[in-house]
Amino acid sequence: MAQDGPQSQTIAVIGGGIAGVTAALEAAETGYDVILIEKEPALGGRVSRLNRYFPKFCHPTCGLEINYQRIKKNPRVKVLTMHEVTAVDGEKGAYTITAKKLPRFVNEKCTACGECARVCETEIDDPYNYGLNKVKAARLPHEHAFPMRYVIDAAVKGSGDEAKIAEACKYGAVDFSEEEEEVTLNAGAIIWATGWRPYDANRLETYHYADSPDIINNVEMERLANHDGPTEGKVVRPSDGEPAKKVALIQCAGSRDVNHLPYCSMICCLASLKHAAYVLEQYEDAEVHMYYIDIRAHDKMQTFYERIKVDPRIKFIKSKPAEIHAGADGRPYVKGERTIDRELYEESYDLVVLATGMEPAARDISTGGDVVKDEDGFVLAIESGDGGQISCGVASGPFDVALSTQSGTAAALKAIQAVGAR
Amino acid sequence: MTAAIPESSRTYDLSFARWVRENVKGGDKMNLCMQCGVCAGSCPIGGEMDNGPRKTFMMVRAGMKDEVLSSTTLWNCTSCYRCYVRCPRGIPVTSIIQGLAAVAAKEGYADKEKVANYYFSRAFWWSARTFGKTDERLVTMKYFFSFGLAEGIKRSLANLKIALGMIKAGRMHVGMPHTIRNKSQLKAIVAKAAELEQKG
Repeated sequence: MAQDGPQSQTIAVIGGGIAGVTAALEAAETGYDVILIEKEPALGGRVSRLNRYFPKFCHPTCGLEINYQRIKKNPRVKVLTMHEVTAVDGEKGAYTITAKKLPRFVNEKCTACGECARVCETEIDDPYNYGLNKVKAARLPHEHAFPMRYVIDAAVKGSGDEAKIAEACKYGAVDFSEEEEEVTLNAGAIIWATGWRPYDANRLETYHYADSPDIINNVEMERLANHDGPTEGKVVRPSDGEPAKKVALIQCAGSRDVNHLPYCSMICCLASLKHAAYVLEQYEDAEVHMYYIDIRAHDKMQTFYERIKVDPRIKFIKSKPAEIHAGADGRPYVKGERTIDRELYEESYDLVVLATGMEPAARDISTGGDVVKDEDGFVLAIESGDGGQISCGVASGPFDVALSTQSGTAAALKAIQAVGAR
Repeated sequence: MTAAIPESSRTYDLSFARWVRENVKGGDKMNLCMQCGVCAGSCPIGGEMDNGPRKTFMMVRAGMKDEVLSSTTLWNCTSCYRCYVRCPRGIPVTSIIQGLAAVAAKEGYADKEKVANYYFSRAFWWSARTFGKTDERLVTMKYFFSFGLAEGIKRSLANLKIALGMIKAGRMHVGMPHTIRNKSQLKAIVAKAAELEQKG
């Protein structure tokens, strides 16, 4: 169907992480209407779950907070939380986005007073902390949540908590009549900012992630180190809460492996160096072993690597471990071949952190029109066309936060060009 | 500047690596190796090998033909395929090790002075060829007595208790060795295999 010109000038951004929030704001601040679609109850995605950024160790809340202020001030950005996009169809100027709207059971009258959580007895695995702890089913997603609004898990429905919670809310903000529904949204251009999820460590059969609570992945390590995480920022053994002083950091747990993720996830080496710093900072007598194939500290990150490396308490072991298992003494053991001198080793640790790679979340969403997914599930604009679908952040490839925000800005410009100047 | 300047007389010789690439089954995949060490770390008998698969690959790249072909790694591999299954680059590690072993045998690297378990291989193969099965008693005795009469008696006595225990537990039979039916077919198979091997 030939079009005379774009019918819609609205830009839809799928995914409210750091890349999506950046793209949405850059487009809205030049005067375009933007719909920002997020599947979780709050914006911020993976970045909101980080303890610190590398290489400067600043707090992610700082960067996010500024962006949330910009969203609040800008009436052109419409934020939809708990909307899970399932399919995209159409063409430039006339896209249709199908999304599943999940019930929040809390409307915009919520003042975040917390009365619902106080009376709620049902507990669920805390999705914000990757299930490391339990949390009330009626909760604020996390302390810096945007929008600052509670959410109630569907587990409450039909339980004794339902009536108690409805009664506790003095503002008429609780609404248990909400149901899951399918919604259709229209836009002239689409920015894919669907980001990533950690590769499922259970699929790394030889690393026995499920066999010991002291074998964790890198995103869980961020939560352990964070003051609002399950341990209030203490890096401890999840099994018994004792200090995790001897720590193994395992690189390429899933990445650079044809049986799992064939590509390099780019951030893991640097994130692990940051994790080393968390441990070294907390314990004078810490001992950190970083197992690696090669340290990939791209361009200016080399300086960061060199800064961490000088600490005598960190040792770099050139080896991709062959096996990790829980020993008879309950401690996790790391086993393999040191490739510098061919020594076979088997060593136990307080805590083993698997640097699991980034798997594109767009793997689950059906794409159509002028974008394609490559064999790994990353979203790419097709090379020949000048279509209205653009990708940014980790939806387009493995990026760190700085590159994600840059690509978010670039995507905003391309989306503006796609819907046409006025 | 305290470190000595390295000798630059040795040139990097890729001719052996190229030859392996073209002549050993799976050798064309060897250049994918990123030296991560998963193969050697996964090997259940890695401790019994001098070099292990990862180092062997590096030695091929470095042109160390003699060292590679006379290594115990080629003969200690039990073909469990764990290295191949786990290799993050999908390299058929087991096939390459077996292929190198075949080259070593052909080129005269596999004689008794150079291969630690030469005698065991001989005893094993003798039993398999003669009966179509391995008879634990005969393989063991033949292996022990390969080292000479005195050594044979010494080793046999040292293992007597184990042997008696196995007989008692019904794990080792007494009497004539078991054989397969149709030994003539086995003979034909072995002859055909030898013919194929000759052809290369």
